[in-house]
Amino acid sequence: MPGVWVMGESRGQSLELLNAGRIIAERLGVNLTSLVLGGEEEARDHIAGGADEALIIPPLADDQTLDALIPVLVDEAREDDPDLILFTSTYRLREIAAKAASLLNTGLCSECIKLYFNEEDRMLEMERLIYGGAAVEKIVCLSRPVMATLPPGMFEPARVDKTREGRIREIKGKPQSACRVLARKSRERETKDIRDARVVVCVGRGLEKKEDISLVRELADALGGEIAGTRPVTEELHWLPEELCIGLSGIQIKPELYIGLGVSGQIQHMTGVRDAKVISAVNRDSNAPIFGTSDLGIVGDLYDIVPKLIKALKG
Amino acid sequence: MLDIVVCFKWVIDEAYIRRTASGGLDFSSVDYKISEYDRNAIEAAVRLREIHGGAVTAITVAPPEASKGVKDALSRGPDRAIFVSDPAFKELDAFQTASILGEVIRVKSKFNLILCGEGSGDSYAQQVGPRLAGILSIPCVAYVQRLDIENERIIAERKAGDFTEVLSIPMPALATVLPDIASPRIPGVKDTLMASKKPVETVVRGDLGGVPEAKMKTLGLTASKMERECELFTAEESDIARFVATLQKKGVLK
Repeated sequence: MPGVWVMGESRGQSLELLNAGRIIAERLGVNLTSLVLGGEEEARDHIAGGADEALIIPPLADDQTLDALIPVLVDEAREDDPDLILFTSTYRLREIAAKAASLLNTGLCSECIKLYFNEEDRMLEMERLIYGGAAVEKIVCLSRPVMATLPPGMFEPARVDKTREGRIREIKGKPQSACRVLARKSRERETKDIRDARVVVCVGRGLEKKEDISLVRELADALGGEIAGTRPVTEELHWLPEELCIGLSGIQIKPELYIGLGVSGQIQHMTGVRDAKVISAVNRDSNAPIFGTSDLGIVGDLYDIVPKLIKALKG
Repeated sequence: MLDIVVCFKWVIDEAYIRRTASGGLDFSSVDYKISEYDRNAIEAAVRLREIHGGAVTAITVAPPEASKGVKDALSRGPDRAIFVSDPAFKELDAFQTASILGEVIRVKSKFNLILCGEGSGDSYAQQVGPRLAGILSIPCVAYVQRLDIENERIIAERKAGDFTEVLSIPMPALATVLPDIASPRIPGVKDTLMASKKPVETVVRGDLGGVPEAKMKTLGLTASKMERECELFTAEESDIARFVATLQKKGVLK
């Protein structure tokens, strides 16, 4: 049956996709179906968020991974034959989408940042970043169903209308996977979520040693902001927790002000801050690429500049 | 006996891509490199072999120019390489790459573990690994940070958002790994010399059953917009004061 399917891992993610899916479903003149991790109550919630139909996915045993749902989803998709399947781009759903696309013998647009229906040739045109964020690629999927993963936060959540009506159905099928969960470890956040921070001070390889983070912290405090790091500083040197890694493969932020200290400005990193209101940088190399993608730049040694900045801000 | 196949991609070094005045992309002075994420995957494969014994095969699907990349990969420790090469293999989508890899691995290589980087440095679609597992009908775990082998099973710790999962998976299996898995070594002169003596099996298009049509079609490519004011200041106290005043004026200070 023609239709648009959406699947998120959380309520918030599902509502975002329902908002996006609604627009396309109306353009196509088809039903909007939401895949529900949960029960009757969640299903009603998705219908209130705009789904015409809510499909309740069979529950998983404790030692089962989310990918145990792949055979169930693929069977249902073969049966129902939707036009489009949208997933929230989370670690687990990205993996599920890619494997399901392989089994459904179709194409998948990963990390789609924009999508629109071209009325003329009746194709869904999708955009994504490539080359570390240096380029935008516009693509179409030539096979059916069209599949895409969308980063969380790309769309506003759908408005919930509890009077909406829709169909609730349980998907039959038995989740199965060769993967067995031995343990789940919640990664205690060591820091505040910097996606909400108004000001972010980010350190790169220009910082000489871990102890000097305190200097960065002092500047962040003077600005009422948070600190973050580039990939080398977080994932390689572990001077800051991984959750503070800004970039294409880390987190993307939209603060009012970003200050890069000793950050060279590789495209993968800058893609993580492209939506900041003001981008500024301190680097002793006047040829550092970051100066080409900043609003304001100070050419100088961060060990000389940062104390001066703190003084000026406090003065 | 552990037989590891590690997949890598020879990609454009994006640092050399220039933006043209009209918002297009200039590739005229680009250089190529082994995708960064794949260097960590190669290192992880080699370290597993150092612990458990066995052999590591590095494989890539690429145009003939990538022979430099094959040598680079071998200088990082794998025992042999399979180079699936054709001038048309420059612009393959994830479906095509995974299909070709699947066919070649099935025919040419024993394996009980396949490793891929989490995604490629150019497209970063993060699809080839899971798709390849789908094609080979083997279990898959993506975004792995720690990997070990115990009694014919892999024990993998993978990122799942706010938490991590430790999974036990029977081999043969495929894992895509995060950079955290292992920092890549920097090959020395001796490694480079040794690399040229290692066996490379070249597979050409004619050796394959056929190359499937792409599932995705690119309609256009444009430089992403990052237009900023690019105003520079010096380290002088007066300039620092002017810098702070500018931030103030832009309304981004408290």
